[in-house]
Amino acid sequence: MNNIWTIARFELLRLIRIRSVLLNLFLLPLILIFILGAALSGVWESSTPKDTAIKTIKVGIVYESAEKGAVTSGLGTFLQSAEIKKLILPETAESRESAETEMRSGKIDYAVVIPADFDTNVAQGKGASWDLIRGKDSSKNLVAETVFDSFLDETNYRQAASVVMGPNAAVAAMSQGAQQHESFVDTGKLSNQGTSYSASQYYAASMLIMFLLYSGMTASSSLYLEKENNTLSRLQAMPISSFQIFAGKIVGLSIVAFAQVIVIITFTHFLYGVNWGNNPLLLGVICVLLVIASMTLAVMITLSVKSRTAANSIMQIVTIAMTFISGGFSPLPEGIFQNMGQISVNYWGMQGMLRMMLHEDVSQIMQTILMLGGICVLFIGAATFTYRKVGGYRA
Amino acid sequence: MAFVELKDVVKRYGNKLSVDHLDLTIQEGEIFGLLGPNGAGKSTTIHMITGLLKMDQGDIKVDRISVKNDSLEVKKRIGLVPQDLALYETMSAAENVAFFGKLYGLRGELLRNRVSEALEFVGLQDRAKDKPETFSGGMKRRLNIACAIMHRPKLIIMDEPTVGIDPQSRNHILESVRTLNKMGSTIIYTSHYMEEVAALSDRVAILDQGHVIASGTQQELRERASQDEKIIIKASHISDQVIQELRLHPRITSITADNESIELSVPSSQVDLQDILFICAKHQVVIHSLVCEEPNLETLFLSLTGRTLRD
Repeated sequence: MNNIWTIARFELLRLIRIRSVLLNLFLLPLILIFILGAALSGVWESSTPKDTAIKTIKVGIVYESAEKGAVTSGLGTFLQSAEIKKLILPETAESRESAETEMRSGKIDYAVVIPADFDTNVAQGKGASWDLIRGKDSSKNLVAETVFDSFLDETNYRQAASVVMGPNAAVAAMSQGAQQHESFVDTGKLSNQGTSYSASQYYAASMLIMFLLYSGMTASSSLYLEKENNTLSRLQAMPISSFQIFAGKIVGLSIVAFAQVIVIITFTHFLYGVNWGNNPLLLGVICVLLVIASMTLAVMITLSVKSRTAANSIMQIVTIAMTFISGGFSPLPEGIFQNMGQISVNYWGMQGMLRMMLHEDVSQIMQTILMLGGICVLFIGAATFTYRKVGGYRA
Repeated sequence: MAFVELKDVVKRYGNKLSVDHLDLTIQEGEIFGLLGPNGAGKSTTIHMITGLLKMDQGDIKVDRISVKNDSLEVKKRIGLVPQDLALYETMSAAENVAFFGKLYGLRGELLRNRVSEALEFVGLQDRAKDKPETFSGGMKRRLNIACAIMHRPKLIIMDEPTVGIDPQSRNHILESVRTLNKMGSTIIYTSHYMEEVAALSDRVAILDQGHVIASGTQQELRERASQDEKIIIKASHISDQVIQELRLHPRITSITADNESIELSVPSSQVDLQDILFICAKHQVVIHSLVCEEPNLETLFLSLTGRTLRD
C-alpha cells in the first residue's frame, strides 16, 4: 500500500509540474464552458425553458372617452387588485400619440387604447375590443397581452352571460369576478421542485463529464510515457509488483481528476453562477463513477494498443463521440442519436447532474446513478480482463 | 563465494535464441565485465537477473535466492543502472533519487541522508534542486547511477553506463564504479567498449550470440588467445630489400607492408624489437612512429569469432 501511495503522490506532483497539463485539465474546461454557455445561450433559450422573474410592466392606458362605464371602471378595479399590481403598473395617457411617445422614450412598456364606444358596445351586447400597442420587450408584451386579453375574455364571457341570463345576472357575475382578480401570469417551472437549468449549467455539466473522460487520456499518456522514458523498466527492477506500479499511477491520476472536478464545480459556481443542485453527495458519487469509467476506459485502450499516439487518438474519438451522442455539445432532437446516447457514460452522467440541478427526487437521480454504476462495473470487468490477458503493465 | 549464479539459462524471442544455455558465476565483491557486441545477449541476461524478463529455462540465484522463487527479495539486493536514461525530466535530481529511494523502503531522515550521499557520490550535490532537463548528457548518466545506488545494494548492475558521454563524465563514472566496489558492492558491468571492461574488471565473460565464448581474468584470456603481438611501423624509404630481410627473420610470423608502413607479428615485442630496428636502420628506413600492440580482448574476440566487438 505504501508503494502505491508513493507512486500516486509522485504522479500527482509530476503532473502538477507540467504547465500544459494544468492548462488542459483546469483552464480549458472553464474557458469552454464560458464560450459555449455564452455563445449558445440564444439558441438555448429558444429550445429550453428558462427561469425568469417577471418585472412590473408600466402600461399606459388611454381612455378615449372621458366618461367611464361599468366595464372600464371594472378594468380600473381589476388593475388595482393586489395580484395584478405585481405585474402591471397602470398610468393614464392622454391620447394614443402621447402613449406612443412615452413608449418610444421608454417611460412605459406597453399601452392599451380603450375606444370611446367600448362601454356602449358592451352594454349593447356587441363585441368588446380595444387596441393594444406593443413595446420593445417581447416578454413584457407577452405578459401584458395575457393580462389584458384575460380581462377582455372575461368581459366577453360575462357579456354573453348577460345576453343569456339577463343584465342582473351579468352584473352579479361582474361584481363577483371583480373580487376574484387573480394573476393570469405565473413564472414557468420545469420540475416538480421548481427549477430549470441554463445554458451555462448544461455546458458546465457536459464539459465536466467530457474533461473527466479526457483525464483518462492523460492517464493513458502517462502510462505510455513511463514506458517511453524507460522509467517503467527501472520501477520494475525494484522490489515492487507491476500491479502496484499500475495501481499507484491510476490512483495518482484519479486524484488529479478529482481535483479537476473540484476546480470546475467551484469556479463555474462562483464565476458563472452555475447551480449544481442541492445534493453534493450524489454529485460526488456521479463524479467518482465518471472517474472510474474514464480510468478503466484508459486502461483498456492503453493495454490494447501499441503506441501512445494510437491510444490518444482512440481516447479522443471515444470521448468526443460519446459527448456528441449524449447531447453534450448541443441537445439532440429525439431520434436515433438520442437513443444511441443512452449507451454512453456521458448521457447518464449528464442526466444525473441535470436532475440534480432541477432538484428532482433522489429516487430519480438514483436511477441514473445505478445506470452509470452498471456501466462502471462492465468497464471494470473489461479492464481487469484486458490487464490479465496482456500480462499486466510491462515495459 | 558465488554471489550470482546463472545455470543453463535460456531466453527465446519467438524462434530466435537470445540467451543460449548460459552458465555464469560471479563472485562476491568482484567487478565482473560482460563484454560482447550489440545483440550478444548482455542486456537480456541482465534483465533476467533483475527479474525484468522471465527466463524460458534454467535458474538464476542472487545471494543464494532464486529469481524464479522470490524475485522481490532478489530485487532488494540489486541496483540497476539501465542502459537508457530512466529519469523524470520534470522532477529535480533530489526528487528523482528520493522517489526511487522510497520504493526501496527508505523514509525520513535516512532517506534524506541517502539522497544527499548518492548525489554527492556522483558529483551532483550542488545541482540537487535542478531538473535533469537542464543537465548535460554526462550529468544525466551520473544521476542515473545515483538513482540506483542510494539504497546501498549488494549487487550493482551497470548496463552500458557510459554510452554517449564526454570523456570527463566517463572517467568520473569509471572511478565511481571502482569506489562502489571498494565499498563492498559486487558489480556487473556490461559494455561493448573493450577498454572500459579491461580497465575495470577483475574477471570478464565475452558473450556472443547468447552464450559465453570465453571467460576468466584478463591474463587468462590473453593466454587463451595465445596471440602474437603486433608492431606497426610508420616510415618512409621502405625498400623491397628491407621487407625481404624481415621476412627471413625466424621469429617474425607475418609481415605486410606498403610505401608508408610495415606491420609485423611477433611472439614478443620485448625480445624482437631490437632486431627489427637494426634491420630497418641497415636499409636506411626513416622511422616516423612505432607502436607495439599486445593482444587484448578485442583481438581475442576477433580471433574467436572473426568479427570485431563493434561490428
